[in-house]
Amino acid sequence: MRHRQMLAPLTAALAAATLVLSACGPGPAEKAQSGGEVKLQMVESLTNPTRTALLKKLIADFEAANSGVKVQLISPPTNQADQKITQMLQSGKGVDVLEVRDTTVGPFSTNKWIYDMAPDLKDWDGLQALTPNALAVTQQGGKSYMVPYGFYGLSLFYRKDLVQQAGFAGPPKSWSEMVEQAKKINDPTKNKYGYSFRGGLGGAGNAIAVISGYVIDDINKDNAFKLTSGKTIFSSPKAVDALNLYVDLFKNASPPSSVSWGYPEMVQGFTSGTTGFLLQDPEVIATVRESKTIKEDQWGTAPLPVGPTGKAAQPLANAGWGVAQGSEHKAEAVKLVKFLTSGDPALTFSKENSLVPILKSAADDPFFKDGPWASYVAMNSSPETYVVVTQPRGVPWSTEWGNKADADVQKLITGKAQPAEILQDWDAYWTKKWAGN
Amino acid sequence: MAVTDTRPAASSRRTAGSRPPAGGRRRFSGRTALVLLAFMLPAIVFVGLFTYYPLLNGISMAFRNYNLNDLSDTSWVGLKNFRTLVGDEMFRGTVRNSIVWVVGSLVPQFLIGFTMALWLRRKFRFRGAYQALVFFPWAVSGFLIGILFRWMFNGEFGVVNDLLMKTHLIDTPVPWLADAKYAMVAVIAANVWYGVTFFAIMILAALQSVPDELYEASAIDGAGKVRTLFSITIPSIRTTLALTVLLRVIWTFNSPELIFGMTGGGPANETHIVTSYMIQVTQEGDYGRASAMGVMVVFVLLLFAIFYLLSVRTRTPRTRRKVVAG
Repeated sequence: MRHRQMLAPLTAALAAATLVLSACGPGPAEKAQSGGEVKLQMVESLTNPTRTALLKKLIADFEAANSGVKVQLISPPTNQADQKITQMLQSGKGVDVLEVRDTTVGPFSTNKWIYDMAPDLKDWDGLQALTPNALAVTQQGGKSYMVPYGFYGLSLFYRKDLVQQAGFAGPPKSWSEMVEQAKKINDPTKNKYGYSFRGGLGGAGNAIAVISGYVIDDINKDNAFKLTSGKTIFSSPKAVDALNLYVDLFKNASPPSSVSWGYPEMVQGFTSGTTGFLLQDPEVIATVRESKTIKEDQWGTAPLPVGPTGKAAQPLANAGWGVAQGSEHKAEAVKLVKFLTSGDPALTFSKENSLVPILKSAADDPFFKDGPWASYVAMNSSPETYVVVTQPRGVPWSTEWGNKADADVQKLITGKAQPAEILQDWDAYWTKKWAGN
Repeated sequence: MAVTDTRPAASSRRTAGSRPPAGGRRRFSGRTALVLLAFMLPAIVFVGLFTYYPLLNGISMAFRNYNLNDLSDTSWVGLKNFRTLVGDEMFRGTVRNSIVWVVGSLVPQFLIGFTMALWLRRKFRFRGAYQALVFFPWAVSGFLIGILFRWMFNGEFGVVNDLLMKTHLIDTPVPWLADAKYAMVAVIAANVWYGVTFFAIMILAALQSVPDELYEASAIDGAGKVRTLFSITIPSIRTTLALTVLLRVIWTFNSPELIFGMTGGGPANETHIVTSYMIQVTQEGDYGRASAMGVMVVFVLLLFAIFYLLSVRTRTPRTRRKVVAG
């Protein structure tokens, strides 16, 4: 009887200890090497169901070509993904291959969470197949924290019929022509507006695209928020002209409620036939094609509008694949990164995700040469006019800047602040940050 | 009516597992206590691990230089994060917005919820179906409600403007989410729609516990509807009302998801409340400053809850257990 009573607390304590210890046990990646099989954990960030299905298909191809390696794909919802990835990297467990974006590569590498693949890529023939832009991203500062899978480049979506009705021969080539045409199309009484203005989330990106087009002759291509003089682009008097034009575009050619328009609203504005112009990434091509309101012959794409000197800055936003520093299977993880960023898998991923491709061979592919894609190809084949620049998107304060700049653009277009004030503030912000304060 | 005490007499013999003496504490032998503690250990460990450890960690972060973008220096900085917040104009704005958000949401929620509960208490055909319909919004995620209302309040293709234009209440579309003064009204309107249900559920439950005899008696005494409401209904459900208001104040103060879905805190940060701003700062990686905000929020809500409960308690007459003599 007595030993039974002794047994009860012992059993309970043992159960508790087992439960606690099991929580501290090895993660899936560590357990994975059963019977010589390596199991990789891969996590994506810009998740959407179609893309996840495509990734799974490509992973299956990789597994077929690499027996003994199994990949488990984790797909968190987009709006929480980067936070989840951060937590995983912080714990140092449970992730081998991850999606690294130009906005996260800075913080991830600063904290030594991601692995420098430069030694592994040194003799890789896939490097030769990359476009100059993709190669530049892969070899930033002599380190290779990621290999891009594609680029997000802006071009102009426009309504052919509305442009014609407004009396213009073709789409606007410059920002001043854009304002002129958008004003002509604008008719609030018929719920018709010239331009799908992005005033909400991500709105600062388009404002900076205009500023960059105005200061292009003095811009530092490797750090597109700087002039060749070393000052910020926001300190240039030309930037004031750019923002004045931008405010004019909002006030006289855009829907009043576009102050709060983010990506879905601005695209909906165009696809619903409400607006005549839209500045967006190629991924929107598929969305516009699905529109029930505007037919295929009513719209087209044109290169990014240029500034007063006939040039535009092309800031190619990008994302790619990287390897976690904490991975215990770096060789296999790098192998997977190489597989996804070369040959057919890379081309398939660019096509099915509507991305500007990373491979040189894509220039000869009919898919990218015709129709709406033609403007992107045209821009890439005229590097003197559409100057490729690198924006400092990988800095640790990138998210903070994004939130601040978006709110400032809203202040600007709602009349709460003047262009000169905003630019002075931005200039001070970046000068202070670069000085390490 | 006599007040009687029907409790059993206290037993002088106390053994483990026996009924406790009235008003006294249960005593266990050392071995029994050990057994019970051992069985409770998993729960204690898990609660400690998943509730108190993160809580204490969060509090400690508030006093550290904890920025995810650069973890090379996470040293102790004392009250620096709190001083930064006090000097932050935007934070002060979010405090003001939080008060507007809570008061602006709660007053209409309470009044409409109360009215709905009174209406749903009456017996009529399909009452069950109506109740299910009324309570449905409570089952939907706040973030989703935010996105739905964001489209509804869209200036160009939103249903709200469409209805107002068709009924000629407005001539030109209102940019609901683009203008600061309208945006706050829009998010509060959405929150009122979302939160009315909770009040209705709670008040209806309380109303159903009020004996019909009281209403019959007041009708015999010739009391009108208003008099009955203030003399019978409200005093009978006073405790439920007080606790529901307290819970809703805390929840509404801590509910940024609807604002996040609808405006993202815009235009120009005009609809940010403290908790939505806290999420934004967390996303920016500054966990130290975000934790400082969290600590402040907990402290303020704790103070509010204490004062509120004390003030309600002093005004609530002591109830005595009454046993109706048969």
